[in-house]
Amino acid sequence: MTSQTQLLDRPLPAEIDTVADLEAYLNAALRLEHATIPPYLTALYSLHPGTNSDARHVIRVVAVEEMLHLTLVANVMNAIGRRVDLTADDFVPAYPAHLPSGETDFLVSVQPFSPAAVTTFLNIERPAKAPSEGRRLLPYSDDLGAGTVLAASPLNPGVRFYSIGEFYAEIDRGLRHLDHEYRQRGEELFSGDPAWQVTEEYFYSGGGEVVPVTDLASALRALTLIAEQGEGLGGGIYDGEGELSHYYRFEQIQLARYYQKGDVAARPSGPRLDVDFSAVYPVAIDTELADYPAGTPAFEAAETFSRTYADFLAYLTAAYHGQPHQLLDAVAWMFRLRDDMNRLIRNPFPGRPGVHASPVFGRGPLERS
Amino acid sequence: MSLDDFVAFSSEVTGFTEFDLLGTGQAQSYRDTVAGVVGEQGLAELLSAYRREVTELSDEQLRAEQLTRSVLGDPRLGPLARNIIKLWYCGVWFGLPGHEDTFTASPQAYPQGLLWYAIGANPPGARAPGYGSWAGPPRIPALPASPIPRSLTRNPSAG
Repeated sequence: MTSQTQLLDRPLPAEIDTVADLEAYLNAALRLEHATIPPYLTALYSLHPGTNSDARHVIRVVAVEEMLHLTLVANVMNAIGRRVDLTADDFVPAYPAHLPSGETDFLVSVQPFSPAAVTTFLNIERPAKAPSEGRRLLPYSDDLGAGTVLAASPLNPGVRFYSIGEFYAEIDRGLRHLDHEYRQRGEELFSGDPAWQVTEEYFYSGGGEVVPVTDLASALRALTLIAEQGEGLGGGIYDGEGELSHYYRFEQIQLARYYQKGDVAARPSGPRLDVDFSAVYPVAIDTELADYPAGTPAFEAAETFSRTYADFLAYLTAAYHGQPHQLLDAVAWMFRLRDDMNRLIRNPFPGRPGVHASPVFGRGPLERS
Repeated sequence: MSLDDFVAFSSEVTGFTEFDLLGTGQAQSYRDTVAGVVGEQGLAELLSAYRREVTELSDEQLRAEQLTRSVLGDPRLGPLARNIIKLWYCGVWFGLPGHEDTFTASPQAYPQGLLWYAIGANPPGARAPGYGSWAGPPRIPALPASPIPRSLTRNPSAG
């Protein structure tokens, strides 16, 4: 029994003890990072064209950095010689998904840009440290509905972390622990093929550089970048590269003002940030394909998009499986997905006056019949 | 005349579905642009003639001939109808006798022009397609299965 389980009043999964445990956690991390992307993109493209350029820029930057985070986790997975798979039936969560925010959890929906959406985004990126070792892992109720519980323990059903930060802290601990064990046995934990690492020649974006993972130090650096881009470095509002972290980027929308250098949390003093919550397509919330009347153009477009998205995840899986150069073509594919999402969102939802169509993100073979 | 009437007419004369047209996000803006130049009455006359002369016909060949004869070939309605086609494709309203100004409908009209979709290219400087994507063949959308706007086939006797 580990020191952590001794602190808890019931048997809990505690530390990552084997590479299989670590793999399960990294799979949960891939799901977690990906789960934020459909809500961010839907809110982004719900903005009327030509309006809300400030909010558009803020959401876009964060969404793109979540794609970087997905790639960073994939690099860690490949570095330990385990397989990245974005095509599993449960890879895309059922929305509204549950994310922890301390003692309680909150719902993450695929929804239009709104004050409620911004609050959700702040919750996703909120820095939260458990008040004590014993509160890092908490049981959650079984009757949460159909939504996926994110940042849950992949080893012990019914238990989730206090926060995303604590979830990643567990992976950090597991990596250090296993690396130490392997070294003592004269073995190498990071035995994956370095050619499978996604390096910066295959991944370009505005925010943050991709970290190739070949050893413990680079693995921890990759995970640290994820945490810092989300919640800032050491309680500050910036990450290690001097970029405003996601939480504070979104807070600018809520407070309608930009941060500037020298500012402290919650008190931005930069230029005004203009938000127009009325210049938004009221897209349907947490739509499933079954919600669309069959035979309508909106259904056909939503179905095509869903299938294309599932195909895209399969393509990314191949890229992470030793074909990193495929990521270059993936960019063009992502822009086509953007155009498809925009086309859908600008159309009314058939039979629902005042509601617009909303993308459904492919969830594997179940919806591909 | 409602936005739906304008979009149905636009679909038949541009060769894009009503879903595609609404998907550009420009339908209301274009309708207002047209009405702003020729007046609500001028737009209503065009859409009424289309509805009266064309929409009842189910034979595609007869329909095309009638559209040419009674709308596009009409000395007054024809230039207006062609201007609406050009507006959808280029985002530009071209000057007409009596309405000399030529202008872009809005900043979004240029990137949303149908011409870019028709040739499978992105508008230069907008809707970035991703580095190197120009090395691949253009993706040209298929023509709609029927030129008859979907909203009209569902309610053939409407109007």
